[in-house]
Amino acid sequence: MRTRLGWTHGVFIAASLVLIFLSVRATGADFGETAQFFVRGSLGGPAAWTRTLKEFLPLLMLGTAVLVALRAGLFNIGADGQFTVGALGAAVVVLRLGGASGMLLGLAAGLAFGALWALPAGWIRAYRGGHEVISTIMLNNIARLLTLYLVKGPIKDPDQQGQTTATFPTSTSLPEITLPSGTLVTSGLVVGLLVVVGFWIWERRTVAGYELNLVGANPTAASVAGVSAKRVKLGAMLASGAVAGLAGAIFVLGHEHRFYANLSPGYGFDALGVAMLAVSGVPALVPAALAFAVISTGTASIQTLGVPRGLSGVILGLTLLGVAAVAGARKRIAHE
Amino acid sequence: MNDLLLLLGSTVVLGSPLVLAAMGGLLSERSGVMNIALEGKMLAAACLTAVVSSSTGNPWAGVAAGVAASVTLSLVHALVTQHFKADHIVSGMGINALAAGGTSLLVKGVFDREGAAAPVFLPVAAYWVTALVAVLYLVWYLTRTRGGIRLMAVGNSPSKSRQMGLDPLRIRIVSLLAAGLLCGLGGCLIASNAGSFTDGMTSGRGFIALAALILGGWRPLPALAGCLAFGMTEALQLQLQGTLLLGVAIPTEAWNALPYLATLVALLFRKGRGGGPASLGVN
Repeated sequence: MRTRLGWTHGVFIAASLVLIFLSVRATGADFGETAQFFVRGSLGGPAAWTRTLKEFLPLLMLGTAVLVALRAGLFNIGADGQFTVGALGAAVVVLRLGGASGMLLGLAAGLAFGALWALPAGWIRAYRGGHEVISTIMLNNIARLLTLYLVKGPIKDPDQQGQTTATFPTSTSLPEITLPSGTLVTSGLVVGLLVVVGFWIWERRTVAGYELNLVGANPTAASVAGVSAKRVKLGAMLASGAVAGLAGAIFVLGHEHRFYANLSPGYGFDALGVAMLAVSGVPALVPAALAFAVISTGTASIQTLGVPRGLSGVILGLTLLGVAAVAGARKRIAHE
Repeated sequence: MNDLLLLLGSTVVLGSPLVLAAMGGLLSERSGVMNIALEGKMLAAACLTAVVSSSTGNPWAGVAAGVAASVTLSLVHALVTQHFKADHIVSGMGINALAAGGTSLLVKGVFDREGAAAPVFLPVAAYWVTALVAVLYLVWYLTRTRGGIRLMAVGNSPSKSRQMGLDPLRIRIVSLLAAGLLCGLGGCLIASNAGSFTDGMTSGRGFIALAALILGGWRPLPALAGCLAFGMTEALQLQLQGTLLLGVAIPTEAWNALPYLATLVALLFRKGRGGGPASLGVN
């Protein structure tokens, strides 16, 4: 069978686009006006770019986190929980310790908490054979409930009504950078880009990076070559969790300056789409994360026209299905 | 004594959506299709059943619409995993996102503007009787019938079962459609327990059903026991709300986390696949 992308793929993608069009029309909004608001709200001017880049950073870092695990053949559905727990770790540190040292320790706590939250999933997969998808779904829900409990009571700011901690001391904020265009970004964006570049070089230039890909591509060949698949898988999961936790820490230290219930609007699930779009190579993470960020801010800005945020879920879902379908064709060729 | 009866009653009512979804998941996973989309299928059914029964005033039309929504998602699931050979995990996540976004869009963007009447539902007993019948039928079907044994064979090795003359594609599609039907009923029951549809109202029950399925080793009776145990934690939580247990107030979140924690602990201590189909998730 030499069929690569058949006509059915085209029909599927066309049907998805029609469904998105119909979803917008069903809400009674004018499609042309909606599209215009969508683009203007996400890419038109410095304020729009500020919002889009705020979404871009967690998507980029979580996309990287998911991709690290994916290289070892693991699906880290738990990036959302690791992000949340990483942010919690950073919050707990900077609420006790101000200044630059608090900020740096907060970032370190994010890394550590994220890795810690990924540990059970990595260990279960490597040494117990239990599927990481199940364990990470469980860990996501536990993270959500645990942080909800904490912000309702133990770490809640008694002076505020909502389920939130106090605002962090300003001395712990990541410095903001104003780009020449007037767009505001956090310096955490530099950290995020460095993580991507670092992973790209590491994957291509180091023995460990080679082993990671080897285990993902063919665990049997890896074990014949003397590479411990168990060790590599556990390591990949921990690294993935650490990057996700760091993303959470940067999100609260650079943008939100407090920790609150349901902090992530589902970045970890969008990140799965980002990583799937970037399986061909690490640099593709940047445009993929940007596309998802534009979808997120674009759908937020068309709410004024009466189109609910649910549209972003529809787009995400259809993207995941489409990407998985196209990737399936590629995999079929690889088997021949 | 009255409290105990009340507890058992609400355990059955709250556990039944889990049982229905878990039996759907069992059929699909035993045929080899990993189904993390139970959540999305139930959510779509819960939404459509509430929307249609409130606009028609007919509970049967509501159930039909809910089940149709869930079965449609199952068809998409089958198309993507079987025809396009897509990854089962990514496509499952895709269906969950599509259902979460689509139901929210439908309710907030289309029906809220029109102001809907209160939905009408079938009596709850219709659901838990169906759930129980589904479990007993599956016990018999999987161990005593040719169709059931073929289903398990496809899940263990699609290539070997093809050499034996079976048609894995057809068996997997039928299993997915049956899963859609059962998840659909589960979703209808969730909406009917609550009396209306709210955004994201399945709140992880699809994943809890999946957890019960896995803890039960992909067998109907242990999965049923798991679902009822998880249903009981939900019932206990409602009944003990605000009271002290051994002098400590147990936070709601701890009750809600119990099924997830139990699953995680079981995975930590269990070695191997725990009796699951050998080719789960393999195209």
